[in-house]
Amino acid sequence: MAIIGLESSAHTFGVGIVDEGKILANEKSMYNIGKGGMIPAKVAEHHIESARDVIVTALEKAGLEIREIEGVGYTRGPGIGPCLQVAQISAKTIAKKLGIRVAMVNHSVGHIEITNHLMNLKDPIIMYVSGGNSQILKRVNKPFSHYSVLGETFDIGVGNMLDSLARQLKLDPAWGSSIEKTAKGGKYIDLPYTVKGMDFSFTGLLTKATELIGKESDEDICMSVQETAFSMLCEALERAMMLTNSNEINLCGGVAQNTRLQNMLQSVADEHDAKFGCADREFNADNGAMIAYVAEKMLKHEAYTKLENCDVKQKYRVDSAMVYGR
Amino acid sequence: MADNMKKIAEGAEAKIYKVNIFETDMILKNREAKNYRIKKLDEELRRKRTRMEARVMSRVNDAGIAAPRVIAVGKYSIYMELLKGVLMKDMKLNKQLMRKVGKSLAKLHDNDVVHGDFTPANIIVNRGRVIVFDFGISEISNGIEEKALDVLLMKRSLRENMYYEFIKGYDTYQKSRTILRRLRSIEERGRYQSRTLS
Repeated sequence: MAIIGLESSAHTFGVGIVDEGKILANEKSMYNIGKGGMIPAKVAEHHIESARDVIVTALEKAGLEIREIEGVGYTRGPGIGPCLQVAQISAKTIAKKLGIRVAMVNHSVGHIEITNHLMNLKDPIIMYVSGGNSQILKRVNKPFSHYSVLGETFDIGVGNMLDSLARQLKLDPAWGSSIEKTAKGGKYIDLPYTVKGMDFSFTGLLTKATELIGKESDEDICMSVQETAFSMLCEALERAMMLTNSNEINLCGGVAQNTRLQNMLQSVADEHDAKFGCADREFNADNGAMIAYVAEKMLKHEAYTKLENCDVKQKYRVDSAMVYGR
Repeated sequence: MADNMKKIAEGAEAKIYKVNIFETDMILKNREAKNYRIKKLDEELRRKRTRMEARVMSRVNDAGIAAPRVIAVGKYSIYMELLKGVLMKDMKLNKQLMRKVGKSLAKLHDNDVVHGDFTPANIIVNRGRVIVFDFGISEISNGIEEKALDVLLMKRSLRENMYYEFIKGYDTYQKSRTILRRLRSIEERGRYQSRTLS
């Protein structure tokens, strides 16, 4: 069935169209953060202004008329409230107009499942790394089908840590990709390394790195922060992988676009003769295709929500979301 | 390293071998190099952790708490006593045993040793004697939070009635009430609320 998926949990308004798991369109408009951060109201305003255009472009790409759409999905959470509401309202409007069903999708489940789908992973251990989230997960079917959190950050997500450092270094654009570029050619400086079993923490690392600004070169700081943070993630993941006897690794979420992190996890996978899967950039950045993909599975299992019950949930935890199908 | 070594276990951090030196069977725990991280960080982590583990084990040995004795320490490796017995995770639990396990943790905490991975997989029982091992991520700390996490980890792997007995044993630790109060507040924190266990 042709499903449209809407995503607006943070700085991206994304629209994806999927039919029987096949991605027909994946369009987006991104709020330009420049050297600053995200101001929720401003980002929401950007989403409202771009929603119509992105939806129209996606339909054109897919070669479909809006009335051919058979179901709609949107990101219920986790994310920033005012931003989430834009996809929610858009989805409800489309559903009401066309008389079709709506599925509320968990954003994290979207990243995980689109990666499993595209990289053909069956039962991987999952490293989900984004701005707000950093978690190690595995699918568990009791007491209900969901992604169980084996390990996660005690404080901030690894993406927020990198973004915050980028802002303080006055990099442009102020987010993780600029850290990755700046890190090239840097030397390693000792920084706080915090892993407790399968959990980890990033604030100590951020505080120390911030203190070094001006005293050490930007290259050295970026390189050392990346190496330390990613080594922590790899260590925790390797432990979880051995504990669960997994032979596949799924790397997803915004920070999964970092090639250094990809290479490190590939190395962990090689060590254990495991398969490593990480989707293309466009699916690790926030996108509508993953929402459409999950929504299609949900609607096929009759997991729809009545229009009056469609809400947003800023802290919608991944392990409270029921997952459907394989 | 001895050449008559046999690998018996592999963790994420270290490989465990059974070796025979001077006609004595013993355990060799070796922290292996990890290719994914840069050499400087890798060596620093392995060196620091080996040193910390040896320090904790010596403190535990000196305090007379049942644990493997340290025989020798290398840069990335520790030779220690080979333990005999059955793993707690493979046993049918009883009240008396759980009180002993609680007392073991009480003694560790009384000596400011935080185990870091206090689970039934890291406890061996030999003729009713409870022996704690794997101090790989242990530290010396008087932190209430860290100690509460030790209790939490054991709690997660026990049924309620067995946990009750465990706490009876743990109550022999003078500060147990403070630790258990913190445990409740940890459990009430958002991140742990809906965290499910597989």
